[in-house]
Parts: sequence; structure tokens; C-alpha cells
Amino acid sequence: MIGLVDANNFYVSCERVFQPKLEGRPVGVMSNNDGCIIARSAELKALDIPMGTPAFKLEGMRQRGEIHLLSSNYELYGDMSTRLAQLLRDACPAVAPYSIDEMFVYLEGLTTEQCEALGRELRQRIRRHLGLPVCVGLAPTHTLAKLANHLAKQHPHYQGVCLLNGQDHTTEALLKRIPVASVWGVGRRLAERLAIGNVNTAWDLRQSDDKPLRKRFSVVLARTALELRGTPCMEMNALDQPRQRIMTSRSFGQPTGVFAEVHNALRRHAQRSAEKLRKQRSLARAVMVFLNTNRHRRDQLQYFPQALIPLPSPSDDTRVILDAVRQGLEQIHRPRYQFMKAGVMLLDLVDAEQHQLSLLHPPTRDRHPFLMATVDQINQRMGQGTISFGMTDAPAAWQLRCAHRSDRFTTRWDELMKVGTHPGAVAAAEAKQKEKEKEKLKKQQALTSTKRGTQPRA
Amino acid sequence: MPGQSSHFTPALPLTSQPQPCGRAGFSGFPSPAQDYEPCTLDLNTRLVKNPTETFYVSATGDSMEGWGIFEGDLLVVDRSIEPQLGHILVAMLEGEALIKRYALYRGTPHLCSTHPNYPPLPLEGSDCQLWGVVRAVVHEYLR
Repeated sequence: MIGLVDANNFYVSCERVFQPKLEGRPVGVMSNNDGCIIARSAELKALDIPMGTPAFKLEGMRQRGEIHLLSSNYELYGDMSTRLAQLLRDACPAVAPYSIDEMFVYLEGLTTEQCEALGRELRQRIRRHLGLPVCVGLAPTHTLAKLANHLAKQHPHYQGVCLLNGQDHTTEALLKRIPVASVWGVGRRLAERLAIGNVNTAWDLRQSDDKPLRKRFSVVLARTALELRGTPCMEMNALDQPRQRIMTSRSFGQPTGVFAEVHNALRRHAQRSAEKLRKQRSLARAVMVFLNTNRHRRDQLQYFPQALIPLPSPSDDTRVILDAVRQGLEQIHRPRYQFMKAGVMLLDLVDAEQHQLSLLHPPTRDRHPFLMATVDQINQRMGQGTISFGMTDAPAAWQLRCAHRSDRFTTRWDELMKVGTHPGAVAAAEAKQKEKEKEKLKKQQALTSTKRGTQPRA
Repeated sequence: MPGQSSHFTPALPLTSQPQPCGRAGFSGFPSPAQDYEPCTLDLNTRLVKNPTETFYVSATGDSMEGWGIFEGDLLVVDRSIEPQLGHILVAMLEGEALIKRYALYRGTPHLCSTHPNYPPLPLEGSDCQLWGVVRAVVHEYLR
């Protein structure tokens, strides 16, 4: 049996663990840069605020206190996700994290009843010990487990745990009610094409013949149909398997056309990418640099260039990659555009230990494995960007906006949750703190004004 | 001499270190403890029994001083422990997190503090939710 443990509104739930006042309130979490809504509490969904709503449209509601909008706090979410995975690892024989808030658990050798009981116990334990609400879907295959989880979330009568054994009448009845577009791996486009062939529900897909599916669509879809029948035929690639490409990109806090600013952002992304590259012990053979203007601003000139710079020999040296990034940017940068986003992608990765040395192009620069390892170690221990390559870290336009980020309760000693020993203690302490800051400000203002007053005399 | 009185005198007599002379190799003595696995005490293993379920919070307010919890103290909160009478808890009450002692008061379970200004809060009929059990308090004298 395969189980899918999926946290409900994960980002919002993480925030609520440490901010009980958000319980029962409409809460949204905004994307990097406070751009748009990327996570919503059930209460916010009930207000008909769709995913991806630009944050500025909700600013009024936020200021009136009708809704809470938070900047994304990835340190917190990442830590809670690690804890969730660890808790599952302690309880199940095998666990495979699928995303930050979804984990597959593999329960071999347990009866159906035991699986369901374990699912309920896990759900309770995660709620109690971590404070996170989750739903559990159980089934013989990944695809069915995903559907079971979907059902557990949609219908309260499952109480968060739904088991589809794949063969009985309940499975049939449920699959007949699920539109094919809700099946894992079937997108909207594919669903439209399937509808032409009269495949509308998950059950229809399950009953489709294997050969025409392979012929008219793809092997992947044929496999999905097989999985719906209860035959496992999809393996999850482990997340820690080396990735084939590594990308780091961010939107700018404010659009910019200045070469130096764009370059600075790209340098930061390149260093981050190189770090990821070394972590998975790969070498890159090419570097891609890309820039985007704001496609929603029809009044501005649009430009989405990219440049691909092959490296003379596979490398994980930050300096080599930075060099390539500068070349790439010089190729594509044009001064009259306002760029919204910039990114660096490392391509054609090879294993650092197994790559073939080139006869014609021996490693150009002396590789300094110790230098890079030391840099990575220091940055890991002292925080990202403690050591960086030849750039000033002045607050620039491209740095992230995160005006409403909550404290990083689990990863920073100076941002712990404050707990009062009596009702109102925390509020009183915060009021005191504010008053102190105000007084400080006043004193400073008084100081500067007296200084100014003395200036003319001097 | 008058200048001598200003000379620095060390609190402990300093003996001169033997100067290395010659180039003869020498080796130290093998440690008699080398057969014993060195395992320096780690405070984590003492205070954190369940790392996955352990969270740190900081205390605010003076009404738990009787139980040794002072303003700014670090609390080690284990969320996997079943609360028992006598435990110090972090509990959620009306959207606020509170540190209280879970104890009997006039025969029924209450959340108690040690300050006369804050009477015990009865658990019956309140929407109080357990957040975690306080395993330890860390009070730092030097910070």
C-alpha cells in the first residue's frame, strides 16, 4: 500500500502553529517579492480570492484588517517540512518526499485495516506533535493515492483519511465521479483531447484500451490508466537524485535596466547555482542567462532574451561560471528595457567523478576544490552570502521585498515565539518595546535638531 | 629606583618556558584513555529527547517566577509528551500562547501560575488547547 500525506494549506498552517491568532482567520501567503497570493487558508478561499491574485489588489482589505497577508517565510516552511518528513520516517519503513508539503509513504506487509489505522494515527500525531493538519490518501498505486488524498481533502466525512483499494465498488463509484483532469499527470489540455474520445472521468480512462492510449497519446498516459486499475507502474525518482539542470531566478523588487544592477543579481544567482551544483557533485557544461521584461506592462517595450555560453570544460568553479554569466549578459543586455526578472541556469550536467577529461581542452584554470569547498562550508555555517565573489552587497533594487514576513521561529535564536506567563503579557511587552523605540527616535530627533541649531553659529 | 614601583607584577609567578634546543625528535606519551571512546557530554542529548517535536520559545512576563521561569528565559518545549498534572505547559487560550502549570485546584484541573494577580484558570468549559510540554528552562546569566 502507498500513502500520500499532504498538508492542508501548508504555508498558512506553518504560520498558524506559531501565531494562534491567525486560527480561523482568512490568511494568504504571498510569493517571493510580495507579488501575488501563492497559498490561501480555507477562510480566504471562501472569500473567492483566487490563487495568483496580485497582492496590491488586496492591499485595502489587508489595511482594513479583513484579511492577513504574509510574505513567504521559506526558512520556516522548510524546517517544518523537514520535521514532517522525519516524523514519517520514524513511523514508516520508507518515505519519499515529493514536494515541500507532500510525502509518499510505503507500507508494505500491512493489511488494509492496518494501513488505515496507521494513516489515522499519523494524521493525529502530525496534528498534535507538529501542529499541522494533514490528509492521508491510501491506495495500491501512486496515482490512486493522489486521488484518495484529493477525496480526503474534499469530503469531511473521511475525517482526513481515505483508502481506495482499487478493486471494490467504492473505488468504481468514486472514479466515476472524478473528472479526468483531476487525475495526476492529466492536464487541462490533455483532458480536452481525451474528451473528444469520450473519456471524461477517471473511470473512463481506467477502462480505456492500452494500445490506443499509447498510440494516440503517450506511454505515460497508458501507465496512468494502468495505475488507476491498481497496477503500480510508476516509480518515484528520489528527490536527492542529481538534477539535470539547476536554475536560480528571481523577480526584481523593482524593475531595472541598469547593467550593474542586473549583473549583480545574476552574480548572486550564479553563486547560488554553483553552490547547488557542487552539493550534488556535478559539473556544468553550459551556462544559460536569461532576462525578462514585465509582460503585463503592455505600455513598455518587451524583451525576453537568453544566451547560452558553453564552458570550455565541465566545471563547478564559481569563478568560471561567473565569467560565463558576464559574457552572456554582455551579449543580451540592451539599455532601453526595464527588466523584471533575471536568472541563471546550469545545463548539461555531468557527474563530477565520472566525467571524461577532454584531450583538447584540459581544465583551463587550476581547479581549487578546497577553495570552493571552504566557501560552501563557511556559507553553510554562517549563513548564505557570508562569503561571495567580488560584489558589494548593498541593498539593491533587485533584492527581495518581504515586508510582512513573520518571524523565523525555528531557525533563528532571536526570532523565537514569545509566550506569556499570563494573558496580555506579550502584548504589554511589545507595547513597552514600541514606546522605548519611540523615545529613542524622539531623543535622536532632538539631538539632530539641536545640532542643526548650533550649526549656524559655528 | 623610583621607576621600579610602576613595574607590572603578575598575579601568578611566571616560570620561564624551556627553550627548544637542538633538533632531536621526541614523541609524547600515548593517552591512557585512548581505549575509552571519547564522548563529550552534549547538552542536546540531555534537554532534547525528541528533536523532531522539540521547539524553542522565549518567556515573557513575571507570573511564573515561582517555578523558575523568568522574563526572556529560553524554554525547551516537547510537543510529543502527554501532559500530566504538575507539568508546565504551553497552552493556547483565546488566540494567545501561555505558559502555565497544569495542576489541580480545588479538586479540578486548572492552569496555574505563581502570581497572586493571576488566579488559576479552570480548564473545564474553556477552549484551551495544548501546544506542548515544557521540558526545561534555560536561564542564561551571561548573554
